[in-house]
Amino acid sequence: MALSAELYYLIPEIILLSGACLVLVLDAVLGKEQWSFTYTLTQLLLLATAGAILFVDPGQAVTVLGGNFILDPLGVLLKVSICLVALPVFFYGHDYNLEHGLHKGEYYILGLFAILGMLVMASAGTLLTVYLGLELLSLSLYAMVAMNRDSRMASEAAMKYFVLGALASGMLLYGISMLYGATGTLQLAGLANAIAGQTDNTLILTFGLIFVIVGIAFKLGAVPFHMWVPDVYEGAPTSVTLFISSVPKIAAFAMAMRVLVDGMQPLAGDWQGMLIILSVLSMIAGNVIAIAQTNIKRMFAYSTISHVGFLLLGIIAARPAGYAAAMFYVLVYSLMSMGGFAMVILLGRKGKEADLLEDFKGLSERSPWFAFVMLILMFSMAGVPPFLGFWAKWFVIMEVIRAGFPMLAGIAVFFSVIGAYYYIRIIKLMYFDKPLEMKAIKSSRQMRTVLSLNALSLLILGLWPPLLMALCLKAIGL
Amino acid sequence: MIEQTLFYIAAAVLVFAASAVITVRNPVVAALTLVLCFFCNAAIWLLLEAEFLAIVLVLVYVGAVMVLFLFVVMMLDINIAELRKGFSGFLPIGVTVALIMVISMVLVLASGYFAGPEYVPLKHAAEYSNTRELGLLLYSEYLYPFEIAGAILLVAIVAAIALTHRRAKNNKSPAPGTQVAVKREDRIRLVKMKTEQQS
Amino acid sequence: MLENYLPILLFLIVGFGLGIVLFVLGYFIGPNRPNPIKGSPYECGFEAFEDARMKFDVRYYLVAILFILFDLEIAFLFPWAVALDGIGLAGFWAMMFFLAVLVAGFIYEWRKGALDWE
Repeated sequence: MALSAELYYLIPEIILLSGACLVLVLDAVLGKEQWSFTYTLTQLLLLATAGAILFVDPGQAVTVLGGNFILDPLGVLLKVSICLVALPVFFYGHDYNLEHGLHKGEYYILGLFAILGMLVMASAGTLLTVYLGLELLSLSLYAMVAMNRDSRMASEAAMKYFVLGALASGMLLYGISMLYGATGTLQLAGLANAIAGQTDNTLILTFGLIFVIVGIAFKLGAVPFHMWVPDVYEGAPTSVTLFISSVPKIAAFAMAMRVLVDGMQPLAGDWQGMLIILSVLSMIAGNVIAIAQTNIKRMFAYSTISHVGFLLLGIIAARPAGYAAAMFYVLVYSLMSMGGFAMVILLGRKGKEADLLEDFKGLSERSPWFAFVMLILMFSMAGVPPFLGFWAKWFVIMEVIRAGFPMLAGIAVFFSVIGAYYYIRIIKLMYFDKPLEMKAIKSSRQMRTVLSLNALSLLILGLWPPLLMALCLKAIGL
Repeated sequence: MIEQTLFYIAAAVLVFAASAVITVRNPVVAALTLVLCFFCNAAIWLLLEAEFLAIVLVLVYVGAVMVLFLFVVMMLDINIAELRKGFSGFLPIGVTVALIMVISMVLVLASGYFAGPEYVPLKHAAEYSNTRELGLLLYSEYLYPFEIAGAILLVAIVAAIALTHRRAKNNKSPAPGTQVAVKREDRIRLVKMKTEQQS
Repeated sequence: MLENYLPILLFLIVGFGLGIVLFVLGYFIGPNRPNPIKGSPYECGFEAFEDARMKFDVRYYLVAILFILFDLEIAFLFPWAVALDGIGLAGFWAMMFFLAVLVAGFIYEWRKGALDWE
């Protein structure tokens, strides 16, 4: 294929990179009075990128540029969902930044580059591209966490994230070098062929696999590589936590799919065992430790860890339907976590963050509608029908049982019942406790509308789950 | 023959310098022995006929990154005794992790997998230019990773400025462009007033 | 190909050797009569009253980081320049795109004032 024909499939990435550079230059040239203009441009650019991805969608798998770039239905769905989920994330973040005086265009610029890194990861055809996309994403996130220079907690969180992230990237690279040494190729398709053809020397492959899984588990936030999650979620400004908790999880799932499924499917027996350990530990640790938290951002961090455990269950099933269930779970999770942090942003105001559990006390008296919105979000996260979160858990557990791991499904259900405690505790605080101060919630009309739509989508899509699930199944190729 | 001796000398100095980096008390000496490590590394890469990478290692790593390290290490007042407290408490865990990494490395390298005839480094003709070979590949087949690397460099620029740059507070320097563009109406305002009566 | 680097090897050997010879010669031939008063630091007759190190100014860090980034850009330019006849017009435009991305970063840092020292 000629280079220009190959570059056709890269139009979304080219638009995003050029647009991000343009936003960067305009932000610098226009000065700090017009920084809201950066926000508007960012949203338009994300819409344009999502549109471009749908436009160049080839409908089947296409590999270009020497095998470095793959565009298949899985990639298209993940990339479009990354761009579309980022739209309300930036909207909530804008609201938070306005309220708390974090007047920096860099939030949106670094966010755009992070999204570019995620798009690169979702379309990666070689281990090299996976690594480069991961680094682009991670560097942008480290800088975003540290952006609020005057906050000591943010600087500490950024330090921890950076040191642990650099170590995890080193481990990932070590594993990639071992895989290359064993098979002689970095291309994911060639890797799978080479592994299937090898009968001896699986020692190197196993070691390489272990180190690669360490890297993936760090990015997802699975136990025992979860140490960065609570500190970063609590220390970073809430607009940044909102971004980190929703969109990069889709990218980490994409990385796991590309590396483990596209690249190392013949080794499924090996990585299944490792992922089972990660998943069980995550569900146990996430659910149990979240009960002891008083800070809601930290509580959400531990609940993220438990959700990641569930997500890994879908991948453990090692069957296409299992991967579709895991993809469904990650998309639903990003919607839920976006809504949860948006509620924290809604309740906060300048100088005072609403990140303690007691800030939610008596919310039903202050604003019955938003107490209902939070009720939907909490029930959905806990996995109560008919909300979407229930269906996400249902599909994953059904796949795990079909794959032959009933014990695992039992553990998952048991710990998610334990985990439901801390979600329902918030509902109890909202409806059955007196508020600390009877102040009305001040927020813009757009914020209220978008947040309400966010929560209602969980209810409406939950009443008709095959809508989203059909998309996921089509993306996997079923 | 010469190449073998050179390799052994470079490797021995590298191992010695690397252990010096982590055991020496003075942080400036540690940074300087790290520079020695990089030079030995560059020598080994040159022996493998990766001349471009060897030179880039010296140019970028030693010339830029280590200079930054030395800036920080020399200008910060690092209290070594304070930093070394608690070291013996973490020693068991550190040794365990190091042993695991070393054992896995030894198992991989000693497995005989890399002992085949195809793993001997290639010897090229005298006009071979490693730089040109790299260039031919990098900008044609590996175009996409190259552009992503450019994006990573840009993110590093934005991040460094967003995190460390503060506008000097006492800076009262005007922008020459605005000074030249000033019009008479911006500076002078003529007011018509009634004359005061002298009393 | 390594024969081309023989002059550099000889240069290193001679330089290293010369340095060692001078050092060793000075150690053995020169007088060495240390004395605590001779060895103490000199601060115009006073005792040293504070550490020589000053508070680290983060502007040095910013300058060094920007240097690293543009040094890496130059490192990418070298193989491109050598291989330009082989990669043709596509390779030319690829590098121009890369340079454009980094020029955007340059405009950003110029306008933000990161290049002003004071």
